[in-house]
Amino acid sequence: MLEILKMAISALTAHKMRAVLTTLGITIGVFTVGAITAIIEGLNSSFESQVSMMGSDVFYISRASWFGGYDEWINARKRKPIDAGLAEYISEHATYVTASSPMVSMHTNLKYQNKSVESVQITGVNHLMPTIEGTEISEGRFFTETECKHRRNLVVIGENIRKEFFPNTDPIGENILIHGNRFIIIGLFEKKGKMLFNDMDNRVQIPYLTFKKMMQRRNRGASIAVKAVSTGLLDDSKEEIRNMVRHYRGLKPIEEDDFAINQMNTLIDMYNRMTALLWAVAIGIGSISLVVGGIGVMNIMLVSVAERTREIGIRKSLGATRQKILFQFLFESMAVCSIGVITGLLLASGTAFIIQTFTPLAAKIPANWGILGSGVVILVGLVFGMWPANRAARMDPINALRFS
Amino acid sequence: MTEKPELIHFDHISRIYQMGTETIRALDDVTLTIRNNDYISIMGPSGSGKSTLMNIIGCLDTPTTGVYRFEKEIVCDMNSEKTIKMNDNQLAGIRNKKIGFVFQTFNLLPRASAFQNVELPLIYAGISRGQRREMAMKALENVSLLDRASHKPSELSGGQRQRVAIARALVNSPSIILADEPTGNLDSETSRDIMTFFDELHRRNNTVILVTHEPDIAAHAHRMIHILDGKIDSDVVNHKMVKN
Repeated sequence: MLEILKMAISALTAHKMRAVLTTLGITIGVFTVGAITAIIEGLNSSFESQVSMMGSDVFYISRASWFGGYDEWINARKRKPIDAGLAEYISEHATYVTASSPMVSMHTNLKYQNKSVESVQITGVNHLMPTIEGTEISEGRFFTETECKHRRNLVVIGENIRKEFFPNTDPIGENILIHGNRFIIIGLFEKKGKMLFNDMDNRVQIPYLTFKKMMQRRNRGASIAVKAVSTGLLDDSKEEIRNMVRHYRGLKPIEEDDFAINQMNTLIDMYNRMTALLWAVAIGIGSISLVVGGIGVMNIMLVSVAERTREIGIRKSLGATRQKILFQFLFESMAVCSIGVITGLLLASGTAFIIQTFTPLAAKIPANWGILGSGVVILVGLVFGMWPANRAARMDPINALRFS
Repeated sequence: MTEKPELIHFDHISRIYQMGTETIRALDDVTLTIRNNDYISIMGPSGSGKSTLMNIIGCLDTPTTGVYRFEKEIVCDMNSEKTIKMNDNQLAGIRNKKIGFVFQTFNLLPRASAFQNVELPLIYAGISRGQRREMAMKALENVSLLDRASHKPSELSGGQRQRVAIARALVNSPSIILADEPTGNLDSETSRDIMTFFDELHRRNNTVILVTHEPDIAAHAHRMIHILDGKIDSDVVNHKMVKN
């Protein structure tokens, strides 16, 4: 069997270019599926871990629903901004809540000595934010309630900012300029990686009262992050908070909510829908190009069988059984396929690497690529190689020997 | 003189082709016995049926009627009520182990080296790698081509190619060597070299059948069969050679 496999491979090396061209369809198919699965895998690995870390017990109160679309967003602009004080109100009065924090943010530049980073999202939060989001501080500490109240210029930075400003030195205690104001770095967030379109390591958090002081004239309102006591009590908690917010915003019973309670779960649903769509695209493109590629393989195998009629005759005269001829050509078509599959997977891993390195998206090579690859080789090679191989196996040795 | 054991027996064998409306009797009621260590030449003009005879002996073709026995075993019996025929694997087995083919056009695999060509029947016989190497090298040594083992056919002369083909035919120690115009593509000097090989093979107790239309090649054989219109026209002992 091993010998027959060798024969098949040596036949391929005789027509390298032809083999490569033939497998283009399979290459494209495998590449598409491979690249998309790498992206999905990348999204999964960063998304799921972080969403679950952020907790299915966390929700956010803001003016607009995250998933309401354009109309919702337009409506929301007419609504009253969310007051950051709501967070304190919730913390004080709610029973089903562990912690809550206002969130106000803007994009601005960071400067350290002569270095600067453009357009970083700065978020003003209170001292409870790490508890809510489940973030770890790898160096230094987060700011305290008192520091927040006293509007201290303290900042906790993400890993990317540290890399940019302090590649080799300790950032703790250093001064950086945020929006022209001097801040002292007191902590460093643990590295978290990418999540959907956000790089979690880009974040910078400061006390929200400091934020407010700094941005007095442009207060666009906040949103409130709330962590429920437990996932089981989430619905109770949401209902309690809804009533509390209605009361706080002075809504009459007949008026509709002029705010939305958003939750990561909704995000997960959307995410699942998106990845399902991606999968459908991958499988669609993949199977079409595999069929096209398979027909290419079949075509080239028919040519190969016709070209080598005499060889088949010789082999038969030397005692090759039908089975052995059949296997020789089946192996050959599987070898052709494996060229396509390997090229496709190489291209896909190259793409995955580029995506991971140069875009905010994450991509990861899934462990099941090996299975995907060999599955394709076996399936396409067998299905589309069967007819040509069978034709070779059934050749009449006398006619085959006479063929020139 | 004691009769040598029977190797091949044709019992009223015919091979009929249907070409459109025309019926061609390529072989017409041929009865023939070939014994161990026979050295036979089969002659006849083209279209006389000698190739068909050869193909049937070589288990590449099956007769339309008659019984063919190879080493007393029935290869096919088309006369009995229910025809008996060996299946494809059995026929391939006979071709592989019992018959060594030598062709006019050598029929070597062009991309394979001399060694790989000689090794091929051994692969199909399922012989282990180490043993294959030994046997193929010995076969190449027998045709004095050990130093050309790694050459491709295109790097060998016509005579050398035919010697590789002979080595390949002999590597499985077959019961019979079937040579179809083995010198047809060679010049006269190389032809003589090749023919001394066949003479030598016969001396070493091999059974050799030569199909040729050249009388001086046929004259090497000890028994000369002449075929005409699918029938055996003459089957005579070549007294000149037998005396030697």
